[in-house]
Amino acid sequence: MPQGKNKKSIKQTGWFKALTFGVIQENPIFCMVLGVCSSLAITNRMDNAFAMSMGVTFCTAFSSLFVSLFRNVMPSRVRMLAYMTIVATFVICVDRFLKAYFPPISEAMGPYVGLIITNCILMGRAEGYAIKNGPWFSFLDGIGCGFGYSFMLILMAFIREPIGFGTFFGMRVMPSFWENWVIMTIAPGAFFLLGVYLWIFRTITKKTEN
Amino acid sequence: MKNVLRVIIFVLVMGTVSGGLLLGVNAFTASLIAKNDELKLKSSVLDALEISYDKNSVIKIFDAQVKTINKGIYTYYTALDGSTAFEFRGPGLWGPISGILSLEKDLKTIRKIKITYQEETPGLGSRIADRDYLKQFKNKEVLPKLVFVPEGRSQQKYEVDTITGATGSSRALEKLLNDNLQRYLSALKG
Amino acid sequence: MNPTNPLVLFIASIFTHNIALVYILGMCPFIVISKNLKTATGMGLSIIFVVTLTAVINWPIYWKILVPAHAEIVSYLIFIIVIAATVQLLEMIIEKFFPPLQSSFGIFLPLITVNCIVLAVSLFMVLRKYDFIQTVFYSAGTSAGWSLAIILMAAIKEKLALVSDIPEGLRGPGITMIIAGLMALAFTGFAGIITLQ
Repeated sequence: MPQGKNKKSIKQTGWFKALTFGVIQENPIFCMVLGVCSSLAITNRMDNAFAMSMGVTFCTAFSSLFVSLFRNVMPSRVRMLAYMTIVATFVICVDRFLKAYFPPISEAMGPYVGLIITNCILMGRAEGYAIKNGPWFSFLDGIGCGFGYSFMLILMAFIREPIGFGTFFGMRVMPSFWENWVIMTIAPGAFFLLGVYLWIFRTITKKTEN
Repeated sequence: MKNVLRVIIFVLVMGTVSGGLLLGVNAFTASLIAKNDELKLKSSVLDALEISYDKNSVIKIFDAQVKTINKGIYTYYTALDGSTAFEFRGPGLWGPISGILSLEKDLKTIRKIKITYQEETPGLGSRIADRDYLKQFKNKEVLPKLVFVPEGRSQQKYEVDTITGATGSSRALEKLLNDNLQRYLSALKG
Repeated sequence: MNPTNPLVLFIASIFTHNIALVYILGMCPFIVISKNLKTATGMGLSIIFVVTLTAVINWPIYWKILVPAHAEIVSYLIFIIVIAATVQLLEMIIEKFFPPLQSSFGIFLPLITVNCIVLAVSLFMVLRKYDFIQTVFYSAGTSAGWSLAIILMAAIKEKLALVSDIPEGLRGPGITMIIAGLMALAFTGFAGIITLQ
């Protein structure tokens, strides 16, 4: 039995090494990029990006808080299960809240809200910080990471909505002669923009791939 | 043994607490969500029948002025002046398109088309949902069937313009409107 | 009830509605894994197996247990737990009964649980109200589409590493995104060959 237990915890460490690699050892921008993956599709409008940012920040902060609160009673075997349950509970609450009070945004975002559960950042922070630190600091760490993530999302939408739709938060901002770049509203535009941003950030911070 | 017990207890407690919390959230929001869906359908129907309403009186006006008729799987909404509306659904280029279409008492002339859901290319195919595009459908006739012609060339009472550059979405809309019209009209008359 | 033909669904989810290149999901492994064609192929095949298996398990759980009990609100939670449990079970089975598969299949399993598309397939299947057969074809097609994307990406990057001189800031995630953008652009050419309900 002890041997089996040992094997399992090593495996989980190995798994998380891949996940937390971007959080602990690498540049935070890279970590944020990993998390942004599941939300790239909704960054074509500012209001959706904003709603998603607040949702992710809320979920990260509170799931880190609760993971930290229970860190001493959590058996290490079911750590993963515990993280998932806590994260999923908060994500479901956010999803319900949007459906009840902001139905048009909920409809526009569809299943992407539910996919916050698989967002690398939430689990990464839970394993990388919340399990070892006090509740208040974990909560703050969650908010901090959430803000970093939000920054990334809003930066994307800031360019995509005006160029692709000609609007900003739904209000027309581009001059009347502006021909919408429809490509910015669909997948290829998101990829190109993210690539360019990564190029800029990495050149500025001089953190490069060796 | 103690460890295994601890694990089991922890899992059970966590499961119960999460489950309980979520069921609580469900109870709190379920009725609001159902109401949102009802409001969306009813306000779209009122919109299509061109009955005016304001945000707070949707249900009241709907119940007073619209009658819901079910014929098998088809649901129709008739207003006091004899006009009829029904929901239409079909495949678009990227995903499903659904909306509400209303006909005048003669069951031939369109009063209004409203698109409630579509996933077409934003800014291009999605213009089929724009009020500016849809207003050309008013007073057009659906018999023998709606024909979509190149932009600017519609002449007959049953011809409407496609969107230049969005041929796929326009064709899809043409097909699904005609399919739905045929099915709903034959069920209504038969 | 969704009237789409399952075969149409299968082909559409590979080409016209590719989950990586149209819905932008499952990107995390793209950046981390897609450097080597062999690894990418292994990852792709593992994903096809896991996604189809979990979708097949989640469908009856949702429609035969959660819906009759009016407990749809816990569906996300149940889905993710089923996924984690399935992956864990697979890991144990491979370790015990199929050790030779360990290096080509087993090492990817821990990363699959947090791959967005495993949960996404279950979420979409519920949203679009697919029946069981449609779910099988949809999940197999979606994961095959994702695998296609990651294999193409790895092949391109392998070639790129040999011949080109990428600017320093663009190496790694940057060029992956640009390549993905070009692939996504190419895939939009498929639009219209299939229409989905």
